[in-house]
Parts: sequence; structure tokens; C-alpha cells
Amino acid sequence: MTATLHGRQTASAVSPSKAPGLPRRRRFPFGRTFATFILVPLCGLMLFPFVWLVLTSLRPRNTVFSGPFFPESLSPAAYGQAWTLIEFPLHFWNSLWITSVTVVGVLIFATLSGYAFAKLDFPFKNTLYLLLLTTLMMPATALIIPLYLELKSLGLLNTQSGLLVLYISSSAPFSMFLMRAFFQTLPDELVEAARVDGSSELTIFFRVILPLARPGIATVVIFQFLQTWNEFLMANTVLQDTGKLPLQPVLFSLTGQYATDWPTLTAGLTLSIIPVVVVYVRMQNQFVAGMTLGAVK
Amino acid sequence: MTTTAQPPVIVRGPVPSSEGRFGSRLKRSQRVAGYLFVLPTLALFLAFVGWPIVQTIYLSLSKWSGFGDKTFVGLDNYTRMVGDPTARRALVVTLVFTAVTTVAQTGLGIVIAVLVNTVWRSLGVVVRTILFIPGIVSFVVSGVLWKLIYDPNIGTLNRVLGALGLEGLQHTWLADRATVLPAIIVVAIWGGIGMNMLIFFAGIQGIDPGLYEAAEVDGASPMQRFLHITVPSLRVVTGIVVSLGLLNGFKIFDIIYVMTGGGPNHASEVFGTYLYSLAFGSTSGSLPQFGYASAFSVVVMIMCILAVIAQMVITRRAER
Repeated sequence: MTATLHGRQTASAVSPSKAPGLPRRRRFPFGRTFATFILVPLCGLMLFPFVWLVLTSLRPRNTVFSGPFFPESLSPAAYGQAWTLIEFPLHFWNSLWITSVTVVGVLIFATLSGYAFAKLDFPFKNTLYLLLLTTLMMPATALIIPLYLELKSLGLLNTQSGLLVLYISSSAPFSMFLMRAFFQTLPDELVEAARVDGSSELTIFFRVILPLARPGIATVVIFQFLQTWNEFLMANTVLQDTGKLPLQPVLFSLTGQYATDWPTLTAGLTLSIIPVVVVYVRMQNQFVAGMTLGAVK
Repeated sequence: MTTTAQPPVIVRGPVPSSEGRFGSRLKRSQRVAGYLFVLPTLALFLAFVGWPIVQTIYLSLSKWSGFGDKTFVGLDNYTRMVGDPTARRALVVTLVFTAVTTVAQTGLGIVIAVLVNTVWRSLGVVVRTILFIPGIVSFVVSGVLWKLIYDPNIGTLNRVLGALGLEGLQHTWLADRATVLPAIIVVAIWGGIGMNMLIFFAGIQGIDPGLYEAAEVDGASPMQRFLHITVPSLRVVTGIVVSLGLLNGFKIFDIIYVMTGGGPNHASEVFGTYLYSLAFGSTSGSLPQFGYASAFSVVVMIMCILAVIAQMVITRRAER
């Protein structure tokens, strides 16, 4: 601290001509150039594992464990291997449709209840809301045993519908929380005007509210997509048949099977992250918007 | 969490309040619609969150292998926990993991957010995108990826150290009791920092720029402005980040399960992996211990609830 103060004094003493009442400070700790010098290498460090991942997946098999960091020749052979050997299309499809159905399911539950909590008046509203929010502090780790037993007694163990039920029920409250925060930003007059016109609550929801809810829905879609696509614990516990598995448990099992076949392993990993990177990069703005909506509010 | 206090709905404009036939009919249809809209979510909640919570607590008081009848054993599972060295190890690892990741992600998150906010806007957007990418891949992917990087013989980390002439620093990272936990923590921070940076960044956008201008006129150094304006203004956001860090730490499972499975010899065992192996990991042919495992579930639950309460207290204080 003293160094900074001292620096400021000398700076103003040396160049008194510059903006007299406003001493020219050394912008040392957080100046633009300084920040760039920190951030650019940091980005390199954060991205390094991915660069290495892609490079390894493209290496010819015989140069994986030796040779320079940047391979002298590239070969896409491992992608073909991953595609056929681990039945990538099948598991990719499982992940894709399970994720899509979860997103749609969560949206239905979350928009309805989020709207009710934001704009409708009914007894015990706050109590019910708080009750539903307790889900946010109940991690899957803590509930996996009773959920496993419950699915077993319902005959839903080792079924993808069982997994869907768990996904939707465990995620709906968080999305409801986001949708409620979004609906609260819409003016009450909108709903009231429609009511005065004699529209039923259902009509108001479908005709007035939903068409305006697009930004909120986009936020829920991206959060939910990433979360469901990446989910491992429940998928690994509920499903046993290899053919039914989504990608994450399959990728996990690869570490044993292909422990020494790094190109195939890394090609599988690379293929699995393409959808999330695409979704994230394309829908980034909604993501940041959701952050402000859900977390900061 | 701060949004939970809901002011009563004030009916404005031409709509009469609850008096009169017209008004009460409106109120009633709102009530019916309200319950109807909430009912599906509530039903799911009761069946797949509420009931399981009750079940976990009940199971934690019984002894059951999944076959035959449950026997009620009172608090036996909890007293067993106290004497179980693996449980104590799991407690220490869970707390160390949580503390280190939370402190690192909060501290680095706020500093990086300020830096991102300082650089030119277009560069900031690129940096934000890049820093968040590790956070959008699953812990399975990052776990497997880093497992390869940490590989003792052919892993990149040891090869880089070798190339730099630092052979003395080479380790069997994930098989060494001393290095396994730091190695995993690095991966967790790598994956989590982008999220915290984004939350802080969003928070910084909400700080009144007038504060900075006033401080600048008063001749405050950038460091002083950071410590006396940015940090205090972000108290509520910091509460959220810390609470999320605690929650994510207490419930940690995926990354440790994928990278080490809790090993070597329980060195990286956390509550999540231990209860999972007690309930589902019958590798040794032993029967599942649903009761004992559930006791750990209850402990994790209580820890998560405390984390949320801590956040509410911080928010309350900050708003005063």
C-alpha cells in the first residue's frame, strides 16, 4: 500500500502539468495492459488441456507417447475408431433425446409454477415456494439411495423413463426459480389488463405471458441442457444395460477399457464436448443473463 | 434467495379489490389457477424430493442390505460413523476440499472478474468465453482428461517437468497420498472458476460508477478502490459465491469418483464417494449397507442446509 502511495506522489511530482487537481496515478494493479498480461496467459493455461486433448486425438497411434507436443502428422483414424468401437452414435443419441425430453419437461413444469409464484395470488404461496426451493439444497449425492430404491419399487430401475423422472423432478425447482425471477420483471398491468378483458387465467398464461417469456425460456434451456448432458451420478446408478446409457457413464467406463488407447479415448471425449461447446458459444448471452437473473438477484 | 420475500399483490387500476362479486370471482379464479399451475411441480417434488428426504432419514436409523426386512437400530449408524477411520478421513477430505476450492474460487473469481472488467470490452468477451469453457464440460470429461495429464509414466505434466529439467518434481500424482488431493483440487478450481468469475462480473456491472469517479477525484489508488469499493459492494454476490462453493464442495462426487474412486487407500475419499461405495460399490462382494450409507447422506444434507443458511445470514447482514 505504501509503495502505491509513494508511487502516486512521485508521479504527480514529476509531471505536475498533467491534470493538476487529478494526480496522474500509476494504474499499476489493475491497469488495462497489466490486466491483459495476466488474462492472456491465464486463458492459455485454461485452454491447454483442451488443446492437448484435441492434438492427442489426432496423433497417429505410434507417436502418442513420444514425439513433440505438436504432432508432425495428423490422422483422424481415432475418430473412426471411437465412432464404431464405443458405439458412439447410439450413446450420443441416448444423451441427446434424454436431454431434450428433460429440457421440455422441465420447461413445462417451471414456466407454469414460476408464473404462478410470480403473478398469481393464492394462500400458502410463500410456504409452497420455500418448500420447493429446499430442492436446491438437496444434492443428488444425498438422495441417490432412496431414489434408487424408489425407482426399484416402481419398476423403473434400468429404464430411461425412470432416469427422465429423476432428471425432471430434481431440476424443475431451480428452473422454476429462474422463471419466477424472469416473470417478475414483466409488468403486473399486462396480466391485469387481460383479466379485465375477461380472459381466463389459462388464456392469459398461453396467449399473453408465454410469448413474452422467450428470454427466460432460453436461459432455462441452456442451463438445463448443459446440466442434463453432463449428469453422471444418476445415469450411472439408474441404468445398467450398456445400450441404454447416455454418454457420460460410457466415457467413464472407457478409462478402464481404453486405458492405453489414448487416441480413441481422447477422440471420444472430444466428440462428447462438441455439443456443449456449440450450445454454450451460441447461447452465451442468455447464459450471462441467467446468471444475473438467478444468482445476483 | 433474497427474492423469497414476496410483497402482497396490490391490485391496481380499474380492477376492484377483493370486495364485490366481480373482484372475488377474479380472486377465486386466480386461486384455482395458482394451485393448478403449481400442482404438477409440487407433485413431482413430493414424490421425488420430499419423500426421499424422509426415506433417507428413516434408512439412516436402520440396518438394511436391500433384502429382507429393515431393522431399526436407532442412532447406531451415527455412533459407528464416529469410530470409523474412513468416515473421519472422508470428513477431513470433504472439509479440506471444500475450504480450499471455495476460498480459491472466490478470491481468484473476484480478481479475474475485475481484470476482465478492466480490459477492452471485446477482449473481455473473448476472455470470459474462454475462461468458462472448462466449466461447461462434465466432470467425467475433465476428470478423464486430467487423469491422462497426471499419468505418471506418459502424462503430459511429468513430461513437461522432465523437459524443464525438474525431474525432482515428478510424481505419481494420483497414486501418491500426499499429492492426490491437491491434484484433484486443481481440476475442481480449473472447472469452477469461470462460473464464479461470471457471477462476480455480473455483480460488478451493478456497482454505481459514481462511486469510482468520486474515489478517483479523492485520489484513491486502484488497489484502494478495489478494496474499499468493489469488495464491499459485492458482499451479497460474495455470499452467493461462497455458499455455492460450500454446496458444491459438500456434495462433491463425480470428479473424485472418476479420477481416483476415493483412493489410494481412501486418501481422496469424500462423503459422496464413501456413501456411494457403501451402497452400490459391492466390488468386494459385500452386501450393500443402505442404512449406514444413508447416515452419510443425512450428514451431507445437513451440511448443505447450513451452507444455505450461512448465505442467508450474509445477505441479511449486507442489506442492513
